[in-house]
Amino acid sequence: MKMKNKADVVIVGGGVNGCSLAYQLAKKGLDVVLLEKKYICSGATGRCGAGIRQQWSTKENTMLAMESVKIFEKLSRELGFDIGLRQGGYLIVVHDKKEMRQAEKNVEMQKTLGLDVSIIDSDEIKEIVPILDVKGMHAIAATFCPTDGHADPFKTTFAYAMAAKKEGATILTHTPVIRVLKEKNAVKGVKTNKGEIKAPVVVNAAGVWSKKVAETAGINLPNQPYRKEIMVTERIKPMFEAMVISFKDGIYFSQQDEGQILGGIPNPHERKGYLTDPTFSFIQHMSKTLLRYAPPLGYLRVIRHWTGFYDVSPDARPIIGEDDKVKGFIHCHGFSGHGFMLSPMVTKLLTEYIADGKTSPFLEWLSLERFKGKTIQKEVSVVG
Amino acid sequence: MRIKKHPILEFDREKKLRFYINGKELYGYEGETISAALFANGVTTFSRSLKYNHPRGFFCGIGKCSSCLMTVNGIPNTRTCITPLKDGVEVKTQDAYADLPETKHKRHKKKVINTDLLVIGGGPAGLSAALEAAKHGVNVLLVDENPILGGQLIKQTHKFFGSREEKAGTRGVEIAQQLRKEVEKQENIRVFLKSTVFGYYECEQNHCFGMVKRREDYTEEIYELHCKSVIFACGAMENMLAFPGNDLPGVYGAGGVQTLMNVYGVKPGRRVLMVGSGNVGLIVSYQLLQADVDVAYIVEGLPKIGGYHVHAAKVRRCGVPILTSHTIVEAYGNERVEGARIAKVGKNWSIIPGTEMDVKCDTICLAVGLTPSIRLLSQTGAEIRFIREAGGHVALHNKNMETTVPGVYVAGDGSGIEEASTAMLEGKIAGFSAAYKIKNKAFDSKPLKLYHEELERLRDGPFGVKGRKAKEKIAVQWSDKR
Repeated sequence: MKMKNKADVVIVGGGVNGCSLAYQLAKKGLDVVLLEKKYICSGATGRCGAGIRQQWSTKENTMLAMESVKIFEKLSRELGFDIGLRQGGYLIVVHDKKEMRQAEKNVEMQKTLGLDVSIIDSDEIKEIVPILDVKGMHAIAATFCPTDGHADPFKTTFAYAMAAKKEGATILTHTPVIRVLKEKNAVKGVKTNKGEIKAPVVVNAAGVWSKKVAETAGINLPNQPYRKEIMVTERIKPMFEAMVISFKDGIYFSQQDEGQILGGIPNPHERKGYLTDPTFSFIQHMSKTLLRYAPPLGYLRVIRHWTGFYDVSPDARPIIGEDDKVKGFIHCHGFSGHGFMLSPMVTKLLTEYIADGKTSPFLEWLSLERFKGKTIQKEVSVVG
Repeated sequence: MRIKKHPILEFDREKKLRFYINGKELYGYEGETISAALFANGVTTFSRSLKYNHPRGFFCGIGKCSSCLMTVNGIPNTRTCITPLKDGVEVKTQDAYADLPETKHKRHKKKVINTDLLVIGGGPAGLSAALEAAKHGVNVLLVDENPILGGQLIKQTHKFFGSREEKAGTRGVEIAQQLRKEVEKQENIRVFLKSTVFGYYECEQNHCFGMVKRREDYTEEIYELHCKSVIFACGAMENMLAFPGNDLPGVYGAGGVQTLMNVYGVKPGRRVLMVGSGNVGLIVSYQLLQADVDVAYIVEGLPKIGGYHVHAAKVRRCGVPILTSHTIVEAYGNERVEGARIAKVGKNWSIIPGTEMDVKCDTICLAVGLTPSIRLLSQTGAEIRFIREAGGHVALHNKNMETTVPGVYVAGDGSGIEEASTAMLEGKIAGFSAAYKIKNKAFDSKPLKLYHEELERLRDGPFGVKGRKAKEKIAVQWSDKR
């Protein structure tokens, strides 16, 4: 069978953002081809903690996340497939006065946007996650938002992919893009290992490999790849539903529906680059910190430990929207570890732009051009 | 149900131990695992499944599956089939989930070991590899999950075929004893039993692994291992077969049952249906008879018997019917197997209507092949391929058993399912090659040639066909890569 050689939109990358975009664009009646170099969920999506958080330090991120949650809440029904959404809340540990000031500022801003969020004391912390050792984790308080949570990244992405196919999109796995084809200053299509596909619009949703895809179109991205490690333990009786995170220690962990504890922490000795091997130092650092937070977990065995990538932009916020030099080249990357939780809203904005030509203040605010000659307001609420 | 009298084996039951299951007092013997002691007391349900609350029990007997997880002295999810029984132990069944332990976690400081060669797996391949490398002056760390060295040899009461050099005419249990003694004599082999190598990690030089050692009090110690080379001799896992009721206690791996009987002297039940007529199915059937357990039938899906004629003839002489072109349709029972339905299969493996038959039995043994254990090996990044004749996914390797990752070797069933005799030779070759590299070719390589010739001779026989084919395919794919 000959490969499809023409489309309205080519999407590079079969993660949650690529698949969501393929579904929405196809639903709008566009002829969409999604190209994935390995298989669906083989990159960061299939390796992530899949947390969904609305508690951010910047207004824009909070709004994006809140809109995303609204979409997540209806997604199982829309796609006709259970995405495994569980809203057990995010419990963000506050360690000291400085963090308290930031927490107060954040919560105030978040509340003005209508988010159900509050600062809680140590008794309330123990009520929500009884196994926590408030002293051991050096907590003076926490912020808690009960509608935060997580979804199953595989189920969500496959649900999007299946729905996209139903809407007429073509999904080609094991089809790496070799380069983006250009004519003057406009995108003309892509060259893959199986041939060329002509298209006036190419979306770069290739996660940590976006930098390499953009290079073939002559665009230099400021993103950097960072290896991130994550582990999961064997099953134990369900004890808590919240995701516990600390910006200071960088740790995050939660208990899955089937009882496993899943979490990660940045390796203090980490260096940037396309590194993929797990490290022994991660497992030690993670276990030590986790036991400081939740001492009863000491007898649980780690059953898996793997690595993925954060595609980190200079201000830890996504880069989305059309390139200002190469017409038809759409950025959808730089998620800096938050690609899953922000995907519903980000892809909705891009769909409206690509299909209807509709712009939004978000697109301007998250454009690649924001890094040119301006001071960067960095998102500080980052873990893992 | 303990075996009282056995024609070949004697069971050491000198020290009686008291233990508890959900608070109820029971007795076992020193040297037994918790699973074996429970089984001897008629306890077959060890836990309940998460989703449907089904009973779960014993299956593989060698720590390769998760069927026997129980809470031991408060420590959850303990593999009771490889955990030795101790006096006064409190064992609890797990209902869907284990409870969080009440006891405070005892933390043991991490230890670091540097060695020339790490050998993972103490079966015929691993033992031979360790001995061969040690003979050439290499420091070896030999690790095995089980409480006894010898791998599956320790339960093999039959005499081996093959060549005299590879101990033909000797029983597996005796080969294990001989190899164990030789290992003990070698000062440069350090043995870690009840220890699991659990992961391969980033390392600037050499290779880095994580290991846990299970202590007498059931707590675990962590080790960080560094080695110049590693030999994976991790053996194989028994295959499962899909049929309704296959998760009932009473459906066991044939090898698991062999362990239970021949290592611990415990009978699996009173009447067995054996599924599969390969050598494992035939030999275990005969050994069940030796242990005074009834074998109702041996069913074989293929139109002909899979194993050696001598083994088939032996069980037939004892009156066990072997039904070829037959398969198990379903196992039934409430808390454990009470019977099974079998039927004749036609073309395309479909059941021929009207041929179904009810078999009263309390045990169903699955002897439907083995899959190489490559989960740890695959973490090294060694190139893995699916080779049907090898039993599944295996690492590509050259004639000297080295994989595509320099310094990473394989040997035995983990490199393709064959026999203990070929496993021992592959172990020698891997051990020799690793030592030769570590010692910078400081000794004569002549023995290597002899091992290769001997291995070829073993595979030349009519029963070496599958192994030979598997290794030929691996060799072709290896050279395609170069």
